[in-house]
Amino acid sequence: MTVLRNGYLFALNKQIFHSGGCRVNSRLFSAGYLSLFLKLSFVLGLGILLQSCASYGSHATTMRDGMLMGHPELSLAIAEKEDPDEKDVVSSLDKGMLRRINENYSGSNQIFEVAKQEIEKLYGFSITENLASVTINETLRGYEGDRYEQLLLHAYMAMNYIQLGDVDSARVEMLQANVKMMEWGDEPEEDAFLRYLEGIIYESLGEYDSALISYRKAYNVYKEKGGAQYPVAPELLKKDLLRLLAWQGLWSEYKTYKKEFGMANYKAPKASDKFGELVVILNNGLAPIRSEKAIHVFSAEVNQNLRIAFPVYDHPKQRLYTPRVSIDNKQKYLETVEDIDALARYSLEQAMPGIMARATARAVIKYNTQHTAEDNSPLAGLLMTITNIVTERADTRSWTTLPQEIQLQRITLPVGEHQLKIEMLDVSGRVVDVIEENVVIKPRQFSFVIKHWNTPVPKKRVLNNDVKTDKQVVKL
Amino acid sequence: MNLQHTKTRLLLPLFALFFLLAGCNPTVTRVQSDTVTDLSGKWNDTDSRLVAEEMVQDVLSRAWLTKFNRSKGKAPTVIVGTVRNLSHEHINTRTFIADIERELINSGEVEFVASAQDRKEVRGEVKDQDLNASEETRKAMGNEVGADFMLQGSINTIVDAVSGEQARFYQIDLTLIELGTNRKVWVGQKKIKKTIEKGGFRL
Repeated sequence: MTVLRNGYLFALNKQIFHSGGCRVNSRLFSAGYLSLFLKLSFVLGLGILLQSCASYGSHATTMRDGMLMGHPELSLAIAEKEDPDEKDVVSSLDKGMLRRINENYSGSNQIFEVAKQEIEKLYGFSITENLASVTINETLRGYEGDRYEQLLLHAYMAMNYIQLGDVDSARVEMLQANVKMMEWGDEPEEDAFLRYLEGIIYESLGEYDSALISYRKAYNVYKEKGGAQYPVAPELLKKDLLRLLAWQGLWSEYKTYKKEFGMANYKAPKASDKFGELVVILNNGLAPIRSEKAIHVFSAEVNQNLRIAFPVYDHPKQRLYTPRVSIDNKQKYLETVEDIDALARYSLEQAMPGIMARATARAVIKYNTQHTAEDNSPLAGLLMTITNIVTERADTRSWTTLPQEIQLQRITLPVGEHQLKIEMLDVSGRVVDVIEENVVIKPRQFSFVIKHWNTPVPKKRVLNNDVKTDKQVVKL
Repeated sequence: MNLQHTKTRLLLPLFALFFLLAGCNPTVTRVQSDTVTDLSGKWNDTDSRLVAEEMVQDVLSRAWLTKFNRSKGKAPTVIVGTVRNLSHEHINTRTFIADIERELINSGEVEFVASAQDRKEVRGEVKDQDLNASEETRKAMGNEVGADFMLQGSINTIVDAVSGEQARFYQIDLTLIELGTNRKVWVGQKKIKKTIEKGGFRL
């Protein structure tokens, strides 16, 4: 449907350009008047059609408000109203994320699967979409998501399967992500968190050799890109890597890494039937959101200043609350394993030269059509100017329901039931919110607790009062 | 003249739109269930059926069956355990297991007992009969047939890919294990290889 709509828009645009040019021969005033009317309605129609694509940024802001106020069910309701055909990748990604935040894991995977299929369909160079993107605007290109988003889609599907108790299917997702990375070329763009999660999944299934390979790969990404797109290598991962090397008896590599990590005192624990493993994953905060910026650039080609629009992240990185796990009188801080904020900014930075080149090409094309129209009649020229301003839109689409950071902690616990608390601390170290969960640890098995958290919310009591006032208003 | 011209110009893209929309209606064609339909290159019903048929043919033609018949003087009783999906696709192993079970039962060479999950439900029913059914129709507990063999297996894949091209290799392993002795009496293997090419362009 996207392709179809693009084709239609493209045809419409062509129609506007063309009829602007053929008005020279017009003798009948009524005919000229009619064509003017037609053009006006086209411009208006086009504007309305474009609004649906252009306003992703503002739609996302409204949708995220619910999450920020501690009412993800409201965000979900807004998201579910969008895109009933389930053709738009970014809408499906948002729905999937919000369904899982609202604890509907199978529903989440169902829509994530739709997104996955649509991304697959967008494979290859699209002729119409690329034409539209250099003549009208960027939002007419099919959105397949940035590479980090495509990989995180697999990660979140895997987490859904884990929460449904189906670790084998989570493993399938990891393998699919592998194929995807393979397709991207000789120097695959590895995602550190995805590799770490993959390792944990393999380890929980008892496949220690595969887990070791994943941990090694994860560590290499953190080592190479840590401090830029990725956080620095977590201490946790270093311990996991050493432990598995010890279990596999790869002592020379064990020693090399021990030296590299500066963990001379580390001693690998032995697996025991009296203990099990708890993995806590926290999705903290919200990913940054793109907004539109327009500037005038000088084009030597037409010797003119031209207006172009492009996406920017105009807010700096948010400060997050610090999560701390508290269980059996033990306290541990979670470690950041994925910095989506950094990934998003890096990804846009990388795409910027292309975006700018297309925007400039587009501005020149638009300027030329405007100019030709103006030569024919000032009114047509004015109309073209309006059309061009209305249609010049930056592509602000991105997966904005992702968290800002993914944080993780692993704890070995005695078999049995435990009371887990995830405490959120502010800058001064004060606990502002607590997530509580009962966990059951089974011998040599993995238990997972995966949560989402944004901001401290006002107490339920206050919210109930609000609801009451609302009802009273309705009654009046 | 000009008015006419404008009208045609306006109508053309609209017509084009209608034609495009008309193309969106789904067309349904019924095909035989054994027709090979390779759409995306993923594991499909054809793969599941072919593997099940070949595996069953193989398992029934091997020595373990005649040996068992000779020594015990009866057909062996088999139970299907788990077939793990270790591939990179979400494969519904249940349809695959059902295919194998059907082929084996219908061959008449082996007997089958219900799986652990199904047994629970059946036992519930027998327990209920103990209370509610009449004396002559009541089934007593403790008369179940214990299986002699268990069928287990896994589906694995190796995928090699470069941009736009994929080679998928599926390997399905099934093992028949004698209960009590843990002896492997039969190992079946089936391999499928596919290559998939994606188009570099689309509309």
